[in-house]
Amino acid sequence: MTQSIYEKYGGFGTVSRIVMRLYDRVLDDDDIGPFFDDIDMPRLIDHQTKFVASLMGGPASFTDAHLIGAHRDLDINDLHFDRLVALVGETLEEFNVEDDDNKAVRDAIEARRSVLVKAPAA
Amino acid sequence: MIEAINEQLLRAIGVGVALVDIKSGALRFSNDTFTEWFGQPADPSNPIELGSLDLRAALDRIGSGERHTDEVTFKIGRRTMTVAIEFNNALEEEDLAVLVCQNISRIKELESMIDSYAMMVERNTHEIRREKEQVEKLLLNMMPRTAYEEYKSFGAVEPRLFEGVSVMSVDFEGFADMLGANAPSVVVSELNDIFTAFDRIGEQFGCERIRTMGDTYFAITGVPDPVRDHAGAMAGAATRFLKYIERRNESHQLSWRVRIGLASGPVIGSVVGVQKYVYDVFGPAVSKASNMRIEADPMSIKTDASISDLLDGGADLASTGEA
Repeated sequence: MTQSIYEKYGGFGTVSRIVMRLYDRVLDDDDIGPFFDDIDMPRLIDHQTKFVASLMGGPASFTDAHLIGAHRDLDINDLHFDRLVALVGETLEEFNVEDDDNKAVRDAIEARRSVLVKAPAA
Repeated sequence: MIEAINEQLLRAIGVGVALVDIKSGALRFSNDTFTEWFGQPADPSNPIELGSLDLRAALDRIGSGERHTDEVTFKIGRRTMTVAIEFNNALEEEDLAVLVCQNISRIKELESMIDSYAMMVERNTHEIRREKEQVEKLLLNMMPRTAYEEYKSFGAVEPRLFEGVSVMSVDFEGFADMLGANAPSVVVSELNDIFTAFDRIGEQFGCERIRTMGDTYFAITGVPDPVRDHAGAMAGAATRFLKYIERRNESHQLSWRVRIGLASGPVIGSVVGVQKYVYDVFGPAVSKASNMRIEADPMSIKTDASISDLLDGGADLASTGEA
């Protein structure tokens, strides 16, 4: 069995640091931070832990239905989505995740774009 | 001079420090960190507010000489902050409480993350256990439990000789014609019902199905656990099979004509194959049972001497060879 990115970079020990860093970056970000104004910390942490673990092939399965439920009523556009992808990329870079693996994780997020981004009003 | 430096230091550290009048609850001093977290009261003579914390109760406790620590959670911007506050009555003669406040938000965040992770792992463990049970169930359908345990421990099953075994071979006369004359899905679905019924009946007699191939059903008594009267048990199961088909034919459109062959003798049991494995038994009794089945008239059981000799003299099966 091939090793997942999650296992390759040290499992939960590393992922926990990545999640914490991403949490800080996301909250501090002017573009996507406002989405989290009224979200409880435990809920956001829970979501991000599962999100990152799932993207890296760890012990979480994040279904599209779950994602849709968590982002219902949010007016997410392509720019917001681009920003999230960029933040994840920068965070992984900070933890010395190799370019190929970094791209694989970003591609995994990219695959969910149509699920999260609301179609522009006609 | 030293006091000025001390005050500078106190203002600069990442710990929130404040002096509060124990009687009035009014703020006498606060460093920048404290002010950043809790602000300054508009009227300095009013008691300060520390989120949802009951300041009066805390001050009363330390007024009576106890130490007191508390936690308060609030939001600064979009960030949830949790601050642990230690109340001290260090300056007793002045009736002042010293409040030392530590930012424990990160600890709380990590606790949340560990909770989240623990839940993920628990769910995964549960799923793995469930999958394991399903695989086990599947494998136990394919081989006896003893063979499965051996396979699990050693990755292989050694061929094993079983003495005192009876073998049954069953099929249906004209099965190919039935398939041609009726919707194959209906025929196969009925065959499935019949084999399932055979399994259930067999279970009552310690008669275990080894395999099916097309319309041929093949079962055995005495493997893997010895059955004292394996021949009698097998004869009992065969008789019940026959009765079941007779009754079934009375109420169904399709009429099944079962043929059953029985034989006894030692067999070798083993798992065959590596990638696609199946538990099977081998021995003269196996081919004898098949031969008996081929020779049996429809809706009858045929035995050879190997089994009829073992059956009680009075049994119909033994006396005639066919029932």
